[in-house]
Amino acid sequence: MISKTNILLFFIALFTFSACKKETSVTKQTVVDNYIYGVNGENLYQSNVEKNKQKTAEQYISILYANLFQNSVPQEDLIELAELRVSIGDKQAADELILNNFVNSGNVTIPSDSEMRADIDKFIEETYLRFFLRKPNAYETFELKKEIEDDADLTPELIYQAFALSNEYKFY
Amino acid sequence: MKRRKFIKKAALTTASTIAAPYILPAGRLFAPTGARVANHVVFMLFAGGIRQQESVDQQYLANQGLPTEGNLMLNMLEGAPPSNNLLFNLWSPVNQPLTQSGTLFKEVEYESGPTGHYNGHTVAMTGNYTATGLNLNINPEYPTVFEYYRKHSDPAKSAINAWWISEGLGPYPSLNYSRDSNYGAQYGANYLRPASLFGDAGTQLANAITYQPDDVQRINRVKDLLDKNFHNTAEDLPGIHNTPENREAIKNFILDLQDQGQNGSLEVATPGNNYNLLTGDLINISAAWQVLDEFSPELTVINSINLDVCHDNFSAYLDFLHRADYGIGWLWNKIQNHPTLANDTILICMPEHGRNLDSNNLTDQNGLRAYDHTGDTNSRRVFTLVVGPPDKVKQGQVFGMQGNPAAESIDVIPTIAHILGFYEDIPFNSLPGRVLTEAFV
Repeated sequence: MISKTNILLFFIALFTFSACKKETSVTKQTVVDNYIYGVNGENLYQSNVEKNKQKTAEQYISILYANLFQNSVPQEDLIELAELRVSIGDKQAADELILNNFVNSGNVTIPSDSEMRADIDKFIEETYLRFFLRKPNAYETFELKKEIEDDADLTPELIYQAFALSNEYKFY
Repeated sequence: MKRRKFIKKAALTTASTIAAPYILPAGRLFAPTGARVANHVVFMLFAGGIRQQESVDQQYLANQGLPTEGNLMLNMLEGAPPSNNLLFNLWSPVNQPLTQSGTLFKEVEYESGPTGHYNGHTVAMTGNYTATGLNLNINPEYPTVFEYYRKHSDPAKSAINAWWISEGLGPYPSLNYSRDSNYGAQYGANYLRPASLFGDAGTQLANAITYQPDDVQRINRVKDLLDKNFHNTAEDLPGIHNTPENREAIKNFILDLQDQGQNGSLEVATPGNNYNLLTGDLINISAAWQVLDEFSPELTVINSINLDVCHDNFSAYLDFLHRADYGIGWLWNKIQNHPTLANDTILICMPEHGRNLDSNNLTDQNGLRAYDHTGDTNSRRVFTLVVGPPDKVKQGQVFGMQGNPAAESIDVIPTIAHILGFYEDIPFNSLPGRVLTEAFV
């Protein structure tokens, strides 16, 4: 089982490496057929079947923050986020608003729409790795690529929110 | 693409038949199942612990050794304000006293259980006395009025129709549904603590934007695609759930509420719409009005709590009493000018409990003694005011006097059930209180 700490460390390491194309490509050379991916010794999921424990609300917010901002959530923000979440009865609505705020903060590294459309396969693979800690299978790539190609207004921001709201993202 | 926008007013339409109560074969004087007195109820839990002496008895400073009496609740009660020894500026009332538009149960008994704020709230919102004395952050034992309403209304009501809006956090967010296995979150109310949205916590939504419906559809379409390829679902978040459409409306409402607060366009319950005069209670009432204006819920419960300052500051307690009264008058005025709510809303006001007869050892800056609420007879004395249109609520009546209470704290929930037409559908023996039938035409 992958612990929360390991997941956080993985994200930090992932983005540290992904900032440098050369090192990223070296990392990917260790990948064999969507099986085990390693960054600093951390494992990725072989498939989503392994994910069967739902994240707590605190885990979800903390991991989401780390995932998007490549840093751990500051304690002050965590306290405010917790209060905000308590102050809204519909927790799904609260989480969606918090995610909305994160994605639109201007501090999240999100590919531009033109970057995404220049290499959709690459965008899909990186997004799966970023949020799901695994590579997409061929069918998943096909489906999402078709969505992107068929809808010129489907932006990376919207796709990121869909990933963060998906059932798979809420499990580990 | 994405952009913040003011959401359209989408007041929920309600279509139902108003029916007067009739005498059942069993001899009960309640409306038949489904028949309603009115389609909207606002229950103002005038909370924080309010003594009869300073509220309905209008004794002002008389119990502090100063010979000045007078009415601080000019929006709710008839009576002249104090003419001297004023501790603060009085605000002119918004309306004629609400007692002229309803029935005052001047003496109401909080019969048993600890006189704590959380317990007082649970008694008022569940219609059952409980022995819980601590401010436990758990859902109450007995079903709340929201659960009775949502489960027993026909047709069933969605959560967008029921709101619990509190001034404080602590245990209060837990009062939107109970632990009762026959009810629970699936019948709970939407909960909101507006002060958090306008405070530091609210800054965590500073960059959130309102999405257009087509962008929401795009997010959901991709989410559905992802969910289709995963074997587990994460729909079991604790708490109440809204339909996707209502959830989207609530999110937009929250962002819009914040926008209005930030740009100064939010209407607030102060004279001249002056933000500098806001108290926590008035922020809560102001935001509650926005909920009422936007969603026209059928059942709304709002509280105040600032008056609890009476533990160590009697002067501030009097001030907060006066301000909260203003907020209630302001709210009723807004309701009477709303296309859906006007003439179809009944407002019920009641403190969650009183305060002690004898003061504690603390005095404030004016040398006035403070009061706790430790369960003496005086702290079990409250009042209940039922306000509504003259064709629904009897106007100008007063019931009860000290030593001869006309009702109990647990009577409000049966009364709300009666107004909204589901009282007869609640399982027998669930609610020990009675319907305050004498208040209705």
